[in-house]
Amino acid sequence: MPKHDEGRRAFLVGTAIGAGAAASAALVPEALAKTSGHDGAMHALAANDAAKHDAKMPAMGGGHGAFFNDDDARTIAAFTERLMPGAPGKPGATEADVLNYIDLALAGAYADEQDFYRRGIIQLDAHCVAAYGKPFRHINTAQQDEAIAALEHGQTIAFTWPTAQAFFNTLHKHTMEGMFADPIYGGNKDFAGWILVGFPGAQMQFTTDDMLSKEAFTREPVVGLQSRLKSKRS
Amino acid sequence: MATEKTDVVIVGVGAAGGILAAELGKAGIKVIGLERGPRLKTADFEPHDELRYFQRQDLRPDPKRMPVTWRPNTNATAHPIPIQNNGNQAGGGTVHYGAVSWRFHEDDFRVRSQTIARYGEAAIPKDSSIIDWPLSYADLEPYYDRAEYELGVSGKAGNLKGQKIDGGNVFEAPRQREYPLPALQIDQVGVNFNAAAKKLGMHPFSTPHAILSQPYNDRPGCTYCGYCQAFGCHVGAKSSILVTKLPEADATGNFKLITGAVCHHVNSDNSGKVTGVSYYGPDRSDSTIEAEIVILAPFIYDNVRLLLLSKTEKFPSGLANSSGHVGKHIMTHIGARGFAAFDDRHVNVYMGPSAQKNSLDDYNGDNFDHKDLGFIRGAQISAGPAGLEGGPLGTAMSMPPPPGVPRWGAQFRDFFAKYYTRYVALTGQTENLPYPDQTIDLDPRVHDAWGLPAPRMTYDWRRPNEVARIEFINKKLMEIGQAMGAAHVWTAPFGAGAPGGHHQGGTRMGSNPQESVVNKYSQSWDIPNLFIMGSSTHPTMSGFNPTLTIQALAYMTADAIVNRYRKNPGALL
Repeated sequence: MPKHDEGRRAFLVGTAIGAGAAASAALVPEALAKTSGHDGAMHALAANDAAKHDAKMPAMGGGHGAFFNDDDARTIAAFTERLMPGAPGKPGATEADVLNYIDLALAGAYADEQDFYRRGIIQLDAHCVAAYGKPFRHINTAQQDEAIAALEHGQTIAFTWPTAQAFFNTLHKHTMEGMFADPIYGGNKDFAGWILVGFPGAQMQFTTDDMLSKEAFTREPVVGLQSRLKSKRS
Repeated sequence: MATEKTDVVIVGVGAAGGILAAELGKAGIKVIGLERGPRLKTADFEPHDELRYFQRQDLRPDPKRMPVTWRPNTNATAHPIPIQNNGNQAGGGTVHYGAVSWRFHEDDFRVRSQTIARYGEAAIPKDSSIIDWPLSYADLEPYYDRAEYELGVSGKAGNLKGQKIDGGNVFEAPRQREYPLPALQIDQVGVNFNAAAKKLGMHPFSTPHAILSQPYNDRPGCTYCGYCQAFGCHVGAKSSILVTKLPEADATGNFKLITGAVCHHVNSDNSGKVTGVSYYGPDRSDSTIEAEIVILAPFIYDNVRLLLLSKTEKFPSGLANSSGHVGKHIMTHIGARGFAAFDDRHVNVYMGPSAQKNSLDDYNGDNFDHKDLGFIRGAQISAGPAGLEGGPLGTAMSMPPPPGVPRWGAQFRDFFAKYYTRYVALTGQTENLPYPDQTIDLDPRVHDAWGLPAPRMTYDWRRPNEVARIEFINKKLMEIGQAMGAAHVWTAPFGAGAPGGHHQGGTRMGSNPQESVVNKYSQSWDIPNLFIMGSSTHPTMSGFNPTLTIQALAYMTADAIVNRYRKNPGALL
C-alpha cells in the first residue's frame, strides 16, 4: 500500500472526530469499512452493491425497457459501443450499460428528447439502408464506424431533423454521460467507466500526500452515490 | 395582487445583493430581497454528483425555462445557449463558482489612459469602446480588504505596500495587509506548473480563492475533495454569500428573503423616481413591493432586461437609459486553452480546489510590453482541469483530444484511459475589449416560462485584437506545457465566436451621464434611487475573475447609501 494511503486514513479518522466535519463524519465509517487491499475486492464490492440496489429498484436492472423498443435498443447499444468500444481489461459502453443510462434518461430527465431519438434512429437507418442495404444494427462494425463518421461530419443526405451532426453530438454526449456519470443513473455499471480511467469517485477529502503524489490513486473504494444513500438510510 | 412596503428592495441576492442586504440591515434599514431560485443549505451539497451539477447545471438557471439566446451578428437568428454562467439560488453564482478571488490591477481601472500613455492612441482598436473606470484601485482597496477579511479569502501577498514578495503575485496591485488566510495546499498540478513557469522566467503563485485553507469564522477548512466549480461546498469551506453574508443579514432582524420570486418590472412614477418592483411568485401570483430604494443585483442579463422591460412614457428607451448605453459594450472571458499530458507521472487533476489552481500574471493586463504585438491587454494564465472541475465526465466533455486522436472509438478510449489522470489544462483567461455592437437586448422570438422576452446576446469575440491575443497566449501555453516535460502538448481549436465566461458590461459605470449608465457608486445617473449592481457595471473586464471586484463595489455602495444617501437622498455625485 502506498505511504500516502496511510496518511489519508489518519486524516479521515482525525476529521471525523474533529470539529466542523459533521457533513463528512457520517460517511467515514463506511468508507473505512469498505477499504480493502486489492482491485478484485473493489470489483466484488461494487457488484455486490449493485446487486443489493437492484433488488430495491427494479428500474435499475440493466438493459432497456423504460423507453426503447428492442430494435432501437440494439441500434443504440451498437452505436454507443462503437463510440466507446470495449476490449479485454478496458470496459466499453456495453459493459458500462450505457444503453440503460440513455433508456432511463429518455424516460425521465431527457423525456423532451424522445422524438429526437426516434427520428434520429429512423434517419440513421435510412442512411444505412441506402448505403449498405441494411439498418445500422445489422451492418458490420467497420460499416458502423463509417456510418458514424459520416454523421459526425454531416456527410449524409438522409437527415433533416435532427441533423446528422446533432444526432451524433447528442449520442456522443450521452455515451460519455453513461460511461462516467455516477452509477445511480443506470450507466457506469460497477464503476466500469471510472475503473477504465482510474477515477475513485466522489471522495469527500484528499490529503496533502494524496495531492502531491505522482502515482495513480488506486486506494479503494471507488465510491458512488448508491453507497452514500444507503449509509444515510441505515 | 399583494403589496408590501420596505425601505430597500434588492432584486437578486448573490455576490453583490447579499453584501448589500447584510450591510444595509446592520444600519437599521429594512430590506426585502427577491430571489428567483430557492435558498439551499450546505447539507444539500452532499453527495457530489458530476452529472447533476456539472453536466446538467443544477445550480444554474434551467435554459428551457430561462433561456438566453445568442447570435454572432445582427444578420443571424439567435438561438438559446446551452450553458449559463450565473446562479439560480440565494447566494447566486457564489454558490457554484470556483471561488477565484482577485483584486484587479491598478491599470485595469484605466485601460484607455494607460494604453494611450504607453503605446499611443493608435494602439486602441478604432471600433472598440474603452473608457476608464470612474474610480481607481486606491479608491477600492479598502473595500477589497474588507471583502477578503469578511468573506474569507486564502492567498499569499505578492505586493505588500509596494514591497514585492516572492511566492505571491508580484504583479498584483499594492495591498495594505496579507490575506486573512494562507494559500491553499499546493497539488501535483501546481508543482509541475510552478516548476515549468520558473524555468521560463515567469512568476507562478497559488491562485487566491474564497475557500478557507483553515477554519475561519466558525466554518471549517477545505477538504480538497475537488468539487468547487459547478458544485456547492459540502462543508461550507467555500466563502459563498450563502454561508457568509446571508446569515449576517438574517441576524440583523431587518432582512426578509422572498424565494421563488421572479422580478418582471421596475415601477417608476412621473417624478423620475422608481417606486418599487413587481414579481411573479411560484404560484404565478403577481405582487408588488414599494420601496424608497431599488437595488438591481441579478446577473447582467436581467439587469439589462429589467431596465428595457420597464420603459414608460417618461423613460421611453428603458429605465436609466438616457445615454443609450444600456445593453451595450458586453464582454466575456474567452479561454485560450492548452493541454499537457504526461507519460512519466500522474497529476490527478481531480484533487483539490478545481478552478485555476495555480496562476501566473506575467502576460495579464499591461504587465508586459505590447509594442509591435498587434494587440493590447492580456490574459491570466492558470493550470487546472479542462472543465474547471476534474471529474471524468467534465474532462471528456471539455478536453479535445490532441491532433491525430479522434473523438471516439478505440483510439479515443485508449487515450482517455491513459491520460485522464495524467493531464493538465492550461488556460489563458483573456481580457477582451468592449465593443458597442456587442449587445444584450430583448429577443423578439424566444420567451421564458413567464412569457417575458429572453435576453438576446449579439456577440462575436473574433476581432483582430482578440484573435492576436489568443494566438500570443496559446504560444505561451505551449511553452509552459513543453517546459513541464509533457509527452503531448496541444491547444484547443478556435470556436464559433460564442460568448465565454464571466459576462460583463451592459450598464457600464463612467465619469459622466453621456457615456455611461451609472456612476462609481453603481447609482443610475438618471434615477438616483435606482442602483444597478454587479459585473454589468464594468466598463472593461480585466483578465481576472470579476467576483471580488463585484463584492468590493457592493461594499462601497453600501457605505455610500448608509453614510450619505440616507441623510441626503439624491445623486451621490
